[in-house]
Amino acid sequence: MRKLALALLAVGALAFAADSYLIRGVTIHPVTQPDIPDGSILIQDGKIAALGAKVAAPRGVQVIDGKGLHAYPGMIDSATEIGVSEVGSVRETNDTGELGDFNPQLRIGIAFNPASEHIPVTRANGITSVITMPGGGGRGSTGVITGQAALMHLDGWTPEDMAVSRSAAMQMVFPIIRTSNFRFPEGLTHTPYAEAKRAYDKRLREMSEFFEQARRYQQAKAAHDPGFKENLKYEAMLPVLEGKLPVMVIAERERAIREAIAFADKQKIRIVLAGIREPGKSLADLKAKNIPVIAGPTLDLPLEEDDSYDAAFSFPGELYKAGIQFAFGTFNTAFSRNLPYQAAAAVAFGLPREEAIKAVTINAARIWGAGDLIGSLEKGKWADVMLTDGDPLEARTQVKRVWIRGKEVDLSNKQTRLYEKYLNRP
Amino acid sequence: MTRLTACILCLAACRVAAEPSAIAIRGARIVPVSGPPIASGTVVIRDGLIQAVGESVAVPPGAWVIEGKDLTVYPGLIDALSTLGIPDAAPPPSGGGRPGAAPAPVPTPPATPATPPARGPEDRPSTTSWLNAADLIKPTDNRIERFRSAGFTSAVTFPNKGIFAGQGAVINLAGEKAGQMVVAAPVGQYVTLTTGGFSSFPGSLMGVIAYIRQVYLDAGHYQAERAAYQANPRGKARPEYDRALEGILGSQRMLLPATRQVEISRMIRFSRELKQHAILYGAHEGYRSAGELKTSGLPVLVSLKWPEKKKDADPEEIESYRTLEVRDRAPSTPAELAKSQVKFAFYSDGIENPRDVIANVKKAIDAGLSAEDALRALTLSAAEIYGVADRLGSIEKGKIANLIVTVGDLFQEKPQVQFIFIDGVKFEPVPELAPASPPATGGVQ
Repeated sequence: MRKLALALLAVGALAFAADSYLIRGVTIHPVTQPDIPDGSILIQDGKIAALGAKVAAPRGVQVIDGKGLHAYPGMIDSATEIGVSEVGSVRETNDTGELGDFNPQLRIGIAFNPASEHIPVTRANGITSVITMPGGGGRGSTGVITGQAALMHLDGWTPEDMAVSRSAAMQMVFPIIRTSNFRFPEGLTHTPYAEAKRAYDKRLREMSEFFEQARRYQQAKAAHDPGFKENLKYEAMLPVLEGKLPVMVIAERERAIREAIAFADKQKIRIVLAGIREPGKSLADLKAKNIPVIAGPTLDLPLEEDDSYDAAFSFPGELYKAGIQFAFGTFNTAFSRNLPYQAAAAVAFGLPREEAIKAVTINAARIWGAGDLIGSLEKGKWADVMLTDGDPLEARTQVKRVWIRGKEVDLSNKQTRLYEKYLNRP
Repeated sequence: MTRLTACILCLAACRVAAEPSAIAIRGARIVPVSGPPIASGTVVIRDGLIQAVGESVAVPPGAWVIEGKDLTVYPGLIDALSTLGIPDAAPPPSGGGRPGAAPAPVPTPPATPATPPARGPEDRPSTTSWLNAADLIKPTDNRIERFRSAGFTSAVTFPNKGIFAGQGAVINLAGEKAGQMVVAAPVGQYVTLTTGGFSSFPGSLMGVIAYIRQVYLDAGHYQAERAAYQANPRGKARPEYDRALEGILGSQRMLLPATRQVEISRMIRFSRELKQHAILYGAHEGYRSAGELKTSGLPVLVSLKWPEKKKDADPEEIESYRTLEVRDRAPSTPAELAKSQVKFAFYSDGIENPRDVIANVKKAIDAGLSAEDALRALTLSAAEIYGVADRLGSIEKGKIANLIVTVGDLFQEKPQVQFIFIDGVKFEPVPELAPASPPATGGVQ
């Protein structure tokens, strides 16, 4: 009987899907503006039509009493593999780590699986869009340019429906000088530095060569060279060379960061550094060159034996103090839902709370070129809204309702289904 | 000096012609180790033994006399754990400890890749406890001459592959035949904590320790069963012969790897639990454990291969404080052990050039060890630890005539070993090794 009621409710919700909503009496946290303690938000045609202390209710609008609730913009996870990786350890369900070193033509916006079980789980916690990467350097991927990351809404029938930006960034895994390797069955093996350095230098030459080729292609195309032949790889590089598309560079430690910055300078490309764990003295450089950063997982152990225990917790606070624009990424799939807690850990270690909220909302949107579409509660933006009963960074806070692109989404998911199933076990 | 050279030449020539009945080193400074140094004394060597030593010892008639002015006589040095004479045993044993353990992470290769993977202790994985170093000695091992030239007259040599690698032998570093070289055998079982790789038992440190424990339990049972059968075989099932356990029962002591402090504590407890006479080897973090080692009463072999920065390391690699500390303080271990009166000896731990071995002893002296204690660790202490102090390790009447004669102090910058006596036979250092070669493996950065 209860199930039937739920189903009816769901049908009811669907029937209103195209309709408009007025959320009333809610504490609004627009993020880009001061909070509005007792305000209303009008959602119409997928967008935020109006918000403020007093908003008139148009006819036929579905009115929601938001008393005691808080409205936040939906959160954005700036690094996931949602939609291209289902079960990490089952090869068939992973669409990351394509063969080949340079794959700029690969677009996540096409490979994305809208039926992924991770999508309902993630959005249930208020995350309404994610950056899906074509390969974060893990899982056997050895490539340098792994493809184009997409900024995806976590609701929709097709990748086209879901894309906020089908091409949010070109992804590059910056090579490192690898002197120790873990192989099976030998275990940890050591490569002499000179040898590792040679392999690394070769890699860098290949990268420069690839960019050079792409540039020649660009010139040939612009000059309408009669011998010009279309090449998908170089074609995909054009927005990067033109500075329209940023390159999301995965670099963990100081040396890789330094070299990545030098490479970007040389190639005159725009970069976003992601996955930074140990920036050393490179923070000043990042600030000077205005390079945005996607902070690596905060809930993590220190990288080095002698690092302070809170190295990972306090890193976002250091980014903030250095004045660097940054956003949070979970670099995960199944645990993308923990994004607010990654940010919360940083709040306990020096990052102001408002900045942490920004780093999971508007900062991410701006870094990915969607600052005018999502990331805050502002008139004219997509209505990505969550209603909570408290601070979303608090683990005890419940996300009550979520809208993506003005459509209220179902918060049930695999976890809640399993919860119900075992709760009702005879 | 010319006189000396002439004398040496003469002696060398004479040796080719005929062995003298006795040799006397007269008027030399003598460091017997077992007693106070003698500023000017005489050592008489006859039939491979020390016939007499002292300030006023008469030179027997007919003896070859070496004028000992400006010379110092020391007992021959002993490398307390090596593979000298067993050329197949290379690569050398690591400083002990488990793979991947700081300060020297050594990847453990699968111990015996050719054999099928072991499933449990009954398969006796990585075990060759029955091997006896004395049976494996090859006098042709070219390392022997090199070590001899640097003043090493004896070595305790072990097979070194596997968990129970085999039994060692004290050998003299000279001889035409293997049989002549062996001074005492067997002298103990060499144990490592080598895992069998990912696919074979034991695949972890815990597994290796469990296996060693099981083997000793099995050995005890085997011994009792065998004794019962031999007392009255009639009507009893014959116990199966197990060479692995025979090897264990034939070993009077076990050598356990213990480099880090935690390993030292663990192996002290383990040897107590097994009720075995044990010697710990490695001991680079012994500077932390001197008190504990003293309480345990266990003797310690200190590896002279002091931890070093990897030659081909990444210049931007961040080394842990622990690694740096052990690298800095390991050479102070011998001084700490001496202060706490722990019995210890030195071993070369695979250092190829014996001059680097001596140079590394010097590092321990620089870190606070007295030269006397250093010499003792290289001579009498090593002999005591292996129970051969009645024949080796000091210049005393009746002991084997293993001596070295130097110009100046043994632990000076460039030690000048003039000649070496092994079993009373005189040798000269190999000339090409006379100038100290640049340290190939010994230099700490």
